[in-house]
Amino acid sequence: MRKLLDGHNLVDRDWIYGLMTQSNLFNRKERGGKIFVSPDYNQTMEQQREITMKRIWYLLENGVFKGWLTESGPEAELRKLALLEVCGIYDHSVSIKVGVHFFLWGNAVKFFGTKRHHEKWLKNTEDYVVKGCFAMTELGHGSNVRGIETVTTYDPTSEEFVISTPCESAQKYWIGGAANHATHTIVFSQLHINGTNQGVHAFIAQIRDQDGNVCPNIRIADCGHKIGLNGVDNGRIWFDNLRIPRENLLNAVADVSSDGKYVSAIKDPDQRFGAFMAPLTSGRVTIASSAIYSAKVGLATAIRYSLSRRAFSVTANGPEVLLLDYPSHQRRLLPLLAKTYAMSFAANELKMIYVKRTPETNKAIHVVSSGFKSVLTWHNMRTLQECREAVGGQGIKTENLVGQLKGEFDVQTTFEGDNNVLMQQVSKALFAEYVSCKKRNKPFKGLGLEHMNSSRPVLPTQLTSSTLRCSQFQTNVFCLRERDLLEQFTSEVAQLQGRGESREISFLQSHQLAEDLGKAFTEKAILQTILDAEAKLPAGSVKDVLGLVRSMYTLISLEEDPSLLRYGYLSRENVGDVRREVSKLCGELRPHALALVTSFGIPDSFLSPIAFNWVEANAWSSV
Amino acid sequence: MASHSQILVEEKSSVRILTLNRPRQLNALSSNMISRLLQLFRAYEEDPSVTLVILKGQGRAFCAGGDIPPLLSYVIQGKWRLGAPFFADQYTLNYVLATYSKAQVSILNGIVMGAGAGVSIHGRFRIATENTVFAMPETALGLLPDVGASYFLSRLPGFFGEYVGLTGARLDGAEMLACGLATHFVPSTRLTSLEEDLCTVGSSDPSFASTILDAYTERPHVKQNSAYHRLDVIDRCFSRRTVEDIISALEREFTQRPDDWISSTTQALKKASPSSLKISLRSIREGRLQGVGHCLIREYRMVCHVMKGDLSKDIVEGCRAILVDKDKNPKWEPRRLEDINDRMVDQYFERLEGLEDLKFPPRNNLRASSIAAKL
Repeated sequence: MRKLLDGHNLVDRDWIYGLMTQSNLFNRKERGGKIFVSPDYNQTMEQQREITMKRIWYLLENGVFKGWLTESGPEAELRKLALLEVCGIYDHSVSIKVGVHFFLWGNAVKFFGTKRHHEKWLKNTEDYVVKGCFAMTELGHGSNVRGIETVTTYDPTSEEFVISTPCESAQKYWIGGAANHATHTIVFSQLHINGTNQGVHAFIAQIRDQDGNVCPNIRIADCGHKIGLNGVDNGRIWFDNLRIPRENLLNAVADVSSDGKYVSAIKDPDQRFGAFMAPLTSGRVTIASSAIYSAKVGLATAIRYSLSRRAFSVTANGPEVLLLDYPSHQRRLLPLLAKTYAMSFAANELKMIYVKRTPETNKAIHVVSSGFKSVLTWHNMRTLQECREAVGGQGIKTENLVGQLKGEFDVQTTFEGDNNVLMQQVSKALFAEYVSCKKRNKPFKGLGLEHMNSSRPVLPTQLTSSTLRCSQFQTNVFCLRERDLLEQFTSEVAQLQGRGESREISFLQSHQLAEDLGKAFTEKAILQTILDAEAKLPAGSVKDVLGLVRSMYTLISLEEDPSLLRYGYLSRENVGDVRREVSKLCGELRPHALALVTSFGIPDSFLSPIAFNWVEANAWSSV
Repeated sequence: MASHSQILVEEKSSVRILTLNRPRQLNALSSNMISRLLQLFRAYEEDPSVTLVILKGQGRAFCAGGDIPPLLSYVIQGKWRLGAPFFADQYTLNYVLATYSKAQVSILNGIVMGAGAGVSIHGRFRIATENTVFAMPETALGLLPDVGASYFLSRLPGFFGEYVGLTGARLDGAEMLACGLATHFVPSTRLTSLEEDLCTVGSSDPSFASTILDAYTERPHVKQNSAYHRLDVIDRCFSRRTVEDIISALEREFTQRPDDWISSTTQALKKASPSSLKISLRSIREGRLQGVGHCLIREYRMVCHVMKGDLSKDIVEGCRAILVDKDKNPKWEPRRLEDINDRMVDQYFERLEGLEDLKFPPRNNLRASSIAAKL
C-alpha cells in the first residue's frame, strides 16, 4: 500500500529521510527509547532562519538538488517533487525556502526566460551560487496579480529598465528569502513602453551582493514574526528607480528591442498574461501534495495515539476503553483518514498530469490544480484541528507536532492563490465550457464533463448497503450533483444577465451556487483518482480495504454536503441511509486503522512521540 | 547427542550460561545450533526461575558466522528452497533476542562476524574485550549483511553503518563500544569474575545486570588510526545516494588528502560484489526507517533471492574465491556497478513465488526500547 500511496521515487525518499535522521542538524532527540527528528520551534526567529539555511546547505552538499533545473523530463521532475515532499514532511519552512529558490525563482528563469537567462542563471541556481526569491505579491495586491502597482519603464539611451515602487501599497510583501539571504529576485511589474502599459512582466534584479549587503536603490525590511514558518525569512522590498540591463527582462513571451519597441508573439494581452502565469501551476501541485503529507502526519499520530490511550470504562470494574473503540472517536478520525487517502491519489494524479503536460493540457491542469489545491489545503487544516483535539492536552505541546503544524501550514489556504478565488476559477471554467458547448452544439469533451453527453443518471429510491458501496452508484451521484449544479449555475447567471446585470456581477451574485459547483467538480475528480487506483489492483486484501476507504470517502462527502437534500438528489430516508452506512464503515475500517496509517510510509522518527510509547517518553528517567 | 553438545548449557542459580561449542569451526552456527538456541531461549523466557541468560563462545572466537557449506551445496544444485529454513530459523532467533523480555548478556571475547552478530548485537547487553574482532563481511562473499544488520547498522552514528556494512571493515572492542555496537568493555582477565557476579542476579529486571556491568566496564581509547576517527570523511562519502557516488566521493577525498585508510576503503568497495553492494546499500537505507521485525522479513526475501541466483550467482563465486579455493580473486557477474540498474535491485525486495513471508510469533512484554521492534 505504501508504494501505491507514495507513488514514485521511494528509494530517493528513503535516502533523504536517512540523510536527516543521521545528521546533527535536524534536532535529533530520544524519547521513550526511540529517535525523533523535528525542528525546534522554541528557537528564536533568527535561530530558526539560521538553522533552516544550514539544513539546506547540508542537503546541497549531499547532492540532493543536482539536476533540479538543468535536467528535464517527467522522471527528473517526479524525483524533484519527491525530494521536496520529504523536506516538507520534516519542516514546512525547509520546503518553502527550497521551493521559492528552485520552483519560483528557478522555474521563472527556466520558463519565462530564454537561452541567455538559462546559461547565466540555471547552473548557478542549482549550486546556490545565487540565492533567488520571487517578488510578485505586494502589500496592496496578492490574488489579483494584474493589479500590482510596481512600475517599470525603459531608458533607450542606457538600454536599461528602471523599476520603481510608486507608493507604499506597491511595496513587495511576503517575499520568502528576501529578508536575510536572497541575492537575486524575479520582479513582477507593470511595463510601460512609450506611454502604453503593456501589462505585467517579469525581470531579474540583484538585491544583495555576495557579501550580503543590500544593493543600492533597494530597500528591504522584515515582515516580522509569524504564527508559523519562522524558518522562512519573508521580506518587504522597495525599488527606488533601480536600473537593470535590458537583458534582464524574462523574454519568453514578450520582448523590448534595444531602441525600445515592445514585441510579443501573443497579441491578446489576456492570453499573454495566461501564457505567463502557466508555469506557476507547479506551485499548486507541490502545495496540494504537501498538504496531504501534513494531514498524514497528523492522522498517523492521532490514530496511533488512539490505539494506545484509554479513557473511561463502559462496564462496572471493566478496563478503560481504547479511544478508537468509541464510535464517536472513530467517526471523528476515520472519515478524515479516508478523505486523506482519496486526496493522496488525487495529488499523485495531479503530479503525473503536470509532469507530462503539453500545451493542450494546460487549461485542464489549471482548473484541476486550482480545485485540488483548495480542497486539499482546507482538508489539511480541518484534519489537523481534529487530530489536535483528538489527542487532547498532548496536542498543545509543541514537540508533539500535531498542534504546531496548524500554524505551520495555515498559509497554504491563502498563498499561491487564495482558495476562495481559486474555486471561483473552477466554476468560471466550467461555466465557459458549458456555454461554449451548448452554443456550438458540440458534445462535452474535457474537464471530466463527458458524462453530460449521456442521459441524466437516475438514482434508486431505496439505498441498500450494497448499492451505497457500489462504485457505479457513487459515480452517478457525483455526476448528477455536478451536472445539476452546473445547469443551475449557468441558468441563474443567464437569468441575472437577462435582467441587465453584467456577467461579472452575475457571477458574484451566484457565488453560492458557484461554490457548490466547484466543490462538486473537485470531489468528483478526486473520486475518479481513487477509483482508478483501485481498479488497477489485483483482487485481494489490499483492493478490498481500498474499496472500503473509497466508499467511506464518497459517503462522508455526501453526508457533509447539504446540496444533496437542498436540491433533492437524495431523499430524507436516503440521507439517513448514508449516515448509517458511514457508521458501519467506521466499524469496518477500525481493524485496518493501524495498517492504513503505517502505509503512509512516514518513518516513525518523523512522527510525534505520542504516536508510540508516550508513557515512557514522559518518564522521570528521561527528564 | 551431537546437536546438544554444540551448545553447552550451565545452570548457576537463576542464571543460564550458553556456550557455542564448535571451536574448530570458530563456532560457526549450524542449523542444529540455531534450533537448540531458539528452544532454549524460548524456554527460559517462560521459566520464572530464570532471570538472566549469558551467551559466549568456546575457544578464540565468539562466532565467526553461519555454517556456509551445506547452504552452498543447496545453491549449487539449484535447490535454494532447501536453504530457506536455515535463514527462517536464524532470523526468528534474531527476532526473539531483539524482543527478549529478560536480561541477556553476550560476551564477545573473540571473533564476532555475520551470523555471530545476529545472535548477539540484538541482545540487551554486549560485552566487548581486547580480543574482540567484529565485522559484517558479506559483500565480499556475494551475500548481504543480514541477520537484522540492516536494523542495527543503520542505527549507528552518521553513516558509519553504511561504511561497516559495505566495506566489511573490522572493528575492535574499543571501536564497538564507541559506536554503540557493544554496550560495555571488560578486559578478558576479568571475565571469570564478571560471570561469577552476574550469577548473583536474582531478578530479570535488566537494571540489576546493568549495575554489575557498569561497575566492570572500562572506556578504552579508540586506536589512533581507527576508522572511528574518520567519521567526518565517512559521513561525507557514505551519505551519498548511490554506491557509484560513494566511491567517487572517496576518490575525491583521496585527491585532496591522500591516505591509506581512504585507499583501502575504496579498494574494499571495488573488490566486493557489485550486486551485493547495491542491494546492501538499499537494505541499510530502508532498514533505517523500519523496525527490526520488518528488517528481518525483508532480509529473508533478499537472502532467498541471492540463493536463487536469478540475477547473479556471486554467492557461489564469492564463497569459492574466499572460503574454498582462497585465491581471493572472485570474478563477479554482473561485473560492474553500472551493469546493475534500479529495476534489478528492486527485484531482490519482492516476494518470491511460492515462498511465504516470515511470520514472527507475537511477543508479550515488549520492553519500551523494543517497541521499535514491534511489527
